[in-house]
Amino acid sequence: MRRLGALLLAVALTVVETAHVGSPNVLFDGSAGAYPVRVIVRPPLVVPGLAEVIVRTTAADVQRIVIQPVFWRTGVAGAPRGDDMSPVAGQSGTFTGQLWLMARGSYSVYVDVHGARGDGRVIVPVNSVATGRLGLSPGLTTVLVALGLVLFAGLVTIVRAAVGESLVAPGAAFEPAPRRRANVVAIVAVPALALILFGGAKWWSAVDAEYRQSMFRAPAVDPFVGANGQTLRLVVRDTSPYRAILSAVAPDHGKMMHLFLVRWPSMDAFAHLHPAQTDSLVFVTTAPDLPAGDYRLFGDIVLENGTSLTVSNTVALAEAAHSTPSDSDDAWTSNVVAVPARNNAVAPMGGGHGYRLAWAGGDSALPAHSPLDLRFIVVDSAGNPAQLEPYLGMAAHAVVLRDDGSVFIHLHPMGTVAATAQQVFKARDRGDTTARGRLRPEAFADSSMMPMSFTGALSFPYEFPRAGRYRIWVQAKPGREILTGAFDVEVR
Amino acid sequence: MAIAVHPGATVGTAERSVEGTSTLWHAYTVLLGATCVMVGVYWDISWHMSIGRDTFWTPAHLFIQAGGLIAGLSSGYVALHTTFRGTEAERAATVSFWGFRAPLGAWICIWGCGAMLTSAPFDNWWHNAYGLDVRIISPPHAVLALGIFAICVGAMLLTLAQQNRADDAMRRRLAWVLAGAGGLFIMNFALFLTEYSERRMMHSAFFYQVVAVVFPFALTAMSRAIKLRWPATAATAAYTAIMLLLMWIIQLFPATPKLGPIYQHITHMVTLSFPLLLLVPAICIDIVLRRFGDRWKTYQLAPLVGIVFVLAFLVVQWPFATFLVTNPLARGWFFNADNFVYWMSPTYEAMTYRFDPPRIGAPPFAVDMLVAIAIASVSAAAGLVRGRWMTRVQR
Repeated sequence: MRRLGALLLAVALTVVETAHVGSPNVLFDGSAGAYPVRVIVRPPLVVPGLAEVIVRTTAADVQRIVIQPVFWRTGVAGAPRGDDMSPVAGQSGTFTGQLWLMARGSYSVYVDVHGARGDGRVIVPVNSVATGRLGLSPGLTTVLVALGLVLFAGLVTIVRAAVGESLVAPGAAFEPAPRRRANVVAIVAVPALALILFGGAKWWSAVDAEYRQSMFRAPAVDPFVGANGQTLRLVVRDTSPYRAILSAVAPDHGKMMHLFLVRWPSMDAFAHLHPAQTDSLVFVTTAPDLPAGDYRLFGDIVLENGTSLTVSNTVALAEAAHSTPSDSDDAWTSNVVAVPARNNAVAPMGGGHGYRLAWAGGDSALPAHSPLDLRFIVVDSAGNPAQLEPYLGMAAHAVVLRDDGSVFIHLHPMGTVAATAQQVFKARDRGDTTARGRLRPEAFADSSMMPMSFTGALSFPYEFPRAGRYRIWVQAKPGREILTGAFDVEVR
Repeated sequence: MAIAVHPGATVGTAERSVEGTSTLWHAYTVLLGATCVMVGVYWDISWHMSIGRDTFWTPAHLFIQAGGLIAGLSSGYVALHTTFRGTEAERAATVSFWGFRAPLGAWICIWGCGAMLTSAPFDNWWHNAYGLDVRIISPPHAVLALGIFAICVGAMLLTLAQQNRADDAMRRRLAWVLAGAGGLFIMNFALFLTEYSERRMMHSAFFYQVVAVVFPFALTAMSRAIKLRWPATAATAAYTAIMLLLMWIIQLFPATPKLGPIYQHITHMVTLSFPLLLLVPAICIDIVLRRFGDRWKTYQLAPLVGIVFVLAFLVVQWPFATFLVTNPLARGWFFNADNFVYWMSPTYEAMTYRFDPPRIGAPPFAVDMLVAIAIASVSAAAGLVRGRWMTRVQR
């Protein structure tokens, strides 16, 4: 019984680890053909499990939205037919649906929008992994224990009747001797049945242990600072029986890894680097010119099967002597001044040209578990919205980090998804995933569609997974320089 | 609770027969419920193989639950009726349970229904905690299987008690009904062992050992309890007939998967593999028990039954498995050796065209067969004891 109690207690403790640190839900902003859509996918804690899908559109002429779960290994040909989403009553343009994710690995939700202006499709990649364990609620525990006790007592009574009264001819007396024998057998049955119950509890424990073994664990990254503190070498490896790294790393926005360093715990120094891949899971970069100290590092990688992963660790950096970036898109800043996010708040972006980052998200605390638009405006020295050059193919990049490091996400205006993951799913069904044996997703990108400049008004869709204090860094290129501004937000 | 005893102390044969007929409807109703449950289970497995369980409310699930409720509620009614409104004769053919009275089979059915209902919230939680039906054999499914098993046992006992009390003509009729219930009983074991009895495993010692755990017990008990000339044979024929009919009929219905990933693009319901050839060992067990059952003691009979079962089963199942796995003629609706579930990857499909290699470090096959015989002997001993008890059940 104590073992069962211990098991229940252990099961009641829910652990959540996700591919993006602490931030499992997927948000995508974009267009399905002619229709602007926001897609929110809330993956299940366990696989096979039900993913919740919400699609919002501002287009009034959408007639029907169909969602389909596509597993990487089988592609569209191996996907079940799509399910029609249900419009939400009273919320125009909002549709909901659920999809079974039956296998572990890389999935995409294909969202097909049908309307007066034809059909459109978006692909929203989702990692399908077991990330949590569900606790038994006290109510359910009470119900199960009560039913179990009734069944147990009933079984003992049945055993007693089976060896006793049931053998007596109808109408004949149930004599004291067989009655005593039946009672003895019933008494013996109690420990025997308890032993079977104990075996059941052991079985449950074994299943639970096996499940925990197979749960997703983010791959680890081992950082090595070398060459007198001038280089940073990162070695990525799987850490659990569930192998997350099942295919090669693919470039995302042309980079094999997006590495973020945050000085810890002050969070006053920040770097966004792009280490070069020197071996399949080894990445090397020049150490940034940041103050010596402890740093949290978060490395985003995308695999050729569409899986997006974040690896994290801490690293002690030595004072680097005027290092030059090893990648032209690397950027860092050692004196981040984070401003509390409230109406009209403006954060400096550095760079000497007077560019600033204005918070456009209002005064109130942000709600957790609710899809939000994190809005900012990059303004010039005169306070006017600045024109932005593309930075790694995007108008801007944002990084959200909880002040205890338990939540990290790298956002773009298109949401939490990696563009490469979308591209590989498209390519997978075209059947031309590889060139010389290696996936070249950048070859699929249609660069002619890329705008040459963006307006300074930025919006990042995101859903905070839980309450707490968060810092948000926003990086943009209002001139030739990559600049960074930061805000602190309270989430309730 | 004190037992209500008819003042007449014993009831005459004719009187017993009349009393038996009056509750026969209950035995038949419970048998109907048990049949619904077992057909539902088969249908449900087929549904999982072909369409995928996208919701709890599939017709197959409803069939199982309805069968459980038919058995449980009818038994509940009998218990309440007998306890509060039953005649002395009706009450005399029942056992006491927490102050209520009903035949033993009715209580087992009520217990089975309770176990099935308990398994529902447990299974639902299990799916949410560990994923949907990652394995067929899980603790909540074991509770469900126990409930289903209890309903089959209850159906058998309700008929059995009446068979044991009935006169010759009625006894023969009831014995045939009992053989049908026995078929469901055997089917229960066969379905629970589905994951251990795939075609590709049928040349491995482990398969024969697993089979030896349950079927000697079931067949020996039937052979002892059912008052027919070929009791175990009749029950096994019922099992084989039910399994074959379901296998052939259900695959006539069109179906496509609702869940993915889909590796096999199926167009109709996929059904379970050809039933195990248990008929031959059942015939052998009937012969052995007819010749030696009354003269030999359990410890003498059990090893003989164990040897006979393993050898008879090995002799027919081994070559039949060769046919199923290697012969293209087996791949069709009749032998159903191409019943690939929608999630079966090409790699796994390739494995079904050959037998599993022996486990590394496994003892020689003959040694493993001796182990299987030992297991079968213990199983047969349990079956003989249970069979003897079954012949004595009166209420």
